[in-house]
Amino acid sequence: MLYYLAKRLGLSTVVVCLVVLVLFSLLYFIPGDPATIALGPRATEEAIARYAEKMHLDEPVWRQFLIYIGNALTGDLGLDVFSDRPVTAIIMERIGFTLALVGAGMGWAMLLGIPLGCLAAVKPNSWIDRITGVLSVGTIAVPSFLVSIWALLIFAVHLRWLPAIGAGEPGQLGDQLSHLVLPAFAIGLSWVGYLARMVRASMLEVMGENYIRSARAFGLHPRRVVFGYALRVAILPTITLIGMGFGGMISSTVFAEIIFARPGIGKLIFDSVMARNFPIVQGAVLVATGLYILVVLFSDILIAWFDPRVRESL
Amino acid sequence: MKQTGTTRRGFLGTTAALGALGLAPAWTTAAFAQAGGTLRLRIDGDNDVLDPGFMTGGTEIEAQKQCLPFLAQYARDGETFTWEPTYFVTRLEQRDATHIDFELTEGLTWSNGYGPVMASDVKFSYERMKDSDWSGYFDALDRVDVTGDRTGTIVLNKPFAPFIMITLCHGPGAVLSEKAMADAGGEFTNSFPAVCGPYTYEATPGQRAVFTANPDWTGPKPAFDRVECNVITEVKAAELAFEAGELDCTEVGADTLARYTKDMSEGTGIAVAGELQYMWMGMNTEHPKLQDIRVRQAIQHAVDVDTILQGAYSGTTAKSHGIICPGLTGQRDSAGYSYDPARARELLAEAGASGLQLTLRTLNNQERMLAAQIIQANLMQIGITVTVLPLDSGPFWEMGQESKGDTWKDLELWLMRFGTTPDPYEATQWFTSDQVGVWNWERWTDEEYDRLYEEGINETDPQKRHDIYVRMQEIMENTGAYVWINHEPEAFVHSTAVGVNAAPSGELNYRRFTGA
Repeated sequence: MLYYLAKRLGLSTVVVCLVVLVLFSLLYFIPGDPATIALGPRATEEAIARYAEKMHLDEPVWRQFLIYIGNALTGDLGLDVFSDRPVTAIIMERIGFTLALVGAGMGWAMLLGIPLGCLAAVKPNSWIDRITGVLSVGTIAVPSFLVSIWALLIFAVHLRWLPAIGAGEPGQLGDQLSHLVLPAFAIGLSWVGYLARMVRASMLEVMGENYIRSARAFGLHPRRVVFGYALRVAILPTITLIGMGFGGMISSTVFAEIIFARPGIGKLIFDSVMARNFPIVQGAVLVATGLYILVVLFSDILIAWFDPRVRESL
Repeated sequence: MKQTGTTRRGFLGTTAALGALGLAPAWTTAAFAQAGGTLRLRIDGDNDVLDPGFMTGGTEIEAQKQCLPFLAQYARDGETFTWEPTYFVTRLEQRDATHIDFELTEGLTWSNGYGPVMASDVKFSYERMKDSDWSGYFDALDRVDVTGDRTGTIVLNKPFAPFIMITLCHGPGAVLSEKAMADAGGEFTNSFPAVCGPYTYEATPGQRAVFTANPDWTGPKPAFDRVECNVITEVKAAELAFEAGELDCTEVGADTLARYTKDMSEGTGIAVAGELQYMWMGMNTEHPKLQDIRVRQAIQHAVDVDTILQGAYSGTTAKSHGIICPGLTGQRDSAGYSYDPARARELLAEAGASGLQLTLRTLNNQERMLAAQIIQANLMQIGITVTVLPLDSGPFWEMGQESKGDTWKDLELWLMRFGTTPDPYEATQWFTSDQVGVWNWERWTDEEYDRLYEEGINETDPQKRHDIYVRMQEIMENTGAYVWINHEPEAFVHSTAVGVNAAPSGELNYRRFTGA
C-alpha cells in the first residue's frame, strides 16, 4: 500500500509541475506585452514599468520561471495586479464556496443516482429500468449552463421560490443553503444520469456472480443482497468516476458561479481572465488542478483500501 | 480486546450520515421584496483600490462618492452637462482662468476621530495626485493655497477650462484626510482610513460591498439607510437578478434596453445617464490603398450607419456626427457626408480604384462583429472586398501604436470606440499631431487642429468653445479618415420605487438616489 501511495504521489507531483510550466508559458503565448495587457491600453509608461519590475517581467524568462516555482513552493502565488493582495489569500477566500457547491452538487447526485442505478439493475428491462435509462441519458445530454439558466428562470425569476444570486448572508446557514440549492441542482443534474448508468452496469455484472447467487440461495433478504454484498463491489468503478467527476464539476462551477453571481474559484478565474489579471488566473488554475489531482489520488487510495485485489496487484 | 480503528463499513456509514446531514432541508425563505431603507444594486467587480490616486476607476469612484467629500458634482442644464458645488462647500468659484476659490462647509468631520475636514486636506489630496496613476487629471494644477481652516484657492499653472468638470467632479477629485492618510502609510487599498459622507463602507471580496448610514454624518440624509452592492460580473446575470426582484437597479445591454423599451413591465423604468462613448470606423491615411482621399470619401458615403444602428444595436444608440458626445459643448447636429452608394462609386471611379481588398479589424464582441459584417456588405456593393479580422483586446489596443511593433503599417480599416469625460477637451486630445502612432492611428496632422486644441483648453466662453470643437470635428471629417457610427448610452433599468442618479459616464451616486 505504501509503495502504491508513493507511486501515485510521485505521478501527481509530475502532473503539478507540468501544469505550472504550461500556466507559466501561457503568459508568453498570449499576443501582446503582458504588462500592457494587464494594465490596459491607457496605462502610462511609468505604470507599465513599475508593474514589469514588480512582477519580475524585466528578468529573463528562465529566471522568472524559477522565481515563480520557488515562490509557489512556499505558498506564494504572487500578487493581485490591481489590489496588490496576495493571490493565495484571495483564492482561500473563494475556495470554500466552490468546495461547498461541488460537494452539494455531487452529494445530491450520489443520493439520487446510486439508488436509481441499483433499482434499474435489480429490475432490468422493467418500466423502472426504462424510465431510469431515458432520464439518465436526458440529464447527461443537457449541459449544466443550460440547466443553470433554466433553473434560474423558473425557480428564481418566475416562481421566486429560491434566490437568484449570491452565496447568502455570512453566518446564516439557512440563507447560505437556500443560495446553494439552484447552483447545486444545476451542476449535479447530469451526474445523476452518469452515476445511475454506471451503477446499473456494474450491478448487472456483479449480480451474475456466484457469491451473489450463493447469498440468495442462503435465503438472505434481497435488500441485504443488493446493498450489503452486490453494491459494495459494484460501487468501486463508481468511486473512480466520482473522483474524475470532481474535476469536471469544478469546470461546471465556472458557469454556475457566473450565472448565479456566486463567489468561487470558477468565477474568480473567469473574472481574472476578463481583467487580464494573470497572477490570479495562474494561481487559481494551479489550485483547481491541485484539488483535482488530490481527489483523484484520494479515490484511487479509497479503491485500494476497499478492494484487496487492487493492493495485491501492485 | 475491542478494536477501535476505522473500518471500511464504518467509514461508509459515517460518510453517508454526514452527506445526509449536509443536505438536510435547512433552507429558509429568502427575503425577495425590497427591504425598507435598503437599496440593492450591482457592481461589476470588487473595489480593489479605493485610493483615488491608484484606483482602476468605475465602481471604486462610486464608493468614493458615498464616503469622501468632493467639491463639485455633475448637473444637467437642459440637455447639456454642467457642474454645481456639492454640499461640502459653501463656495466654489472660478475667480479667473487660473484660480478657483473654495470654502468648505462648517461642521464636516472625518470618522475614526480624525477631526474636522480642513482646507489643508484639500491641499494634501490634490497635490499628492500629481504623483499618482491619475496624474494626468492634475497636469494643470500648480498648487492649492490654504487661506484659512476651511478656505483655500486651487491655483492652475495654465488656463484649463475643463478642470472643474473633468477633475473636481470626477473620482480623482475626492478629498482625503491628511492625518488618516499619514496613519495609513500614505496609501490605502480596499478600506477607507477615514470617511466623511452619508455612508460607511464594508466589503466582502467576491460577494458584495455594503454602505451603511454614517452615524457621524450631519449633512443631508440620503433616501436609503443601507446600500447593498452585489458583485455580479456579467450584465446578463444582473439583468436576470433584476427580473427576479433581487436588484432595484442595474445597467443593461443594448438588446435588453431595446426589449424593455418595447415592452416595459409594470413597476419598471429606464434611466439613461449619458452617452459618453464615441465609435467610428477609422482609415489609415498613410496606407497605400487608402492614400487617395477620394477612396476614403467613397467609403464614408458607402457605409449605411442607420442599418448598423438597427442591426447591431437594436436602435438603442444615438447616431454619431463626430467625437463630441450628446450633452457636451461642441456636439454636431449632422455630418458632412451621407449614405450615398452612387456617389461612392463615382469617387472610386475618379480615383481609378478597382478590385480594392481591405481588412477591417475589430474587437471580437457581438455588437462590433455585427457592425463589421454590415460594413463588409455595404462596401461589397461598391466593389470593395472587406475581410473582417476579429481581435482580442491585447493585440487590438496595440495595433496602431508604433511602440508596440509594426502592425500599424498594415492597418487599413478598424472599428474603434473611446469613452470620455463630460467635456469636449478629452475626446479631442487623441488626434493631435503628437498622437500620430500613439492614438491617432489615422495618422494625419493638421496645424489648425493643433492650434484649436490649445485654444479649446483655454477658452471659457461656452459659445466660442462650441465653435472651436465643431470646427475641429470638421477638420477630422475632411481627412476622409472617419465614418462616425454611434454613441452608446449608459442605460439602467430600475424599479419605479427608486429614482436613479448617475454621472454622465455611468457611475451611480447612491447618496443622490431618491425613494418612492
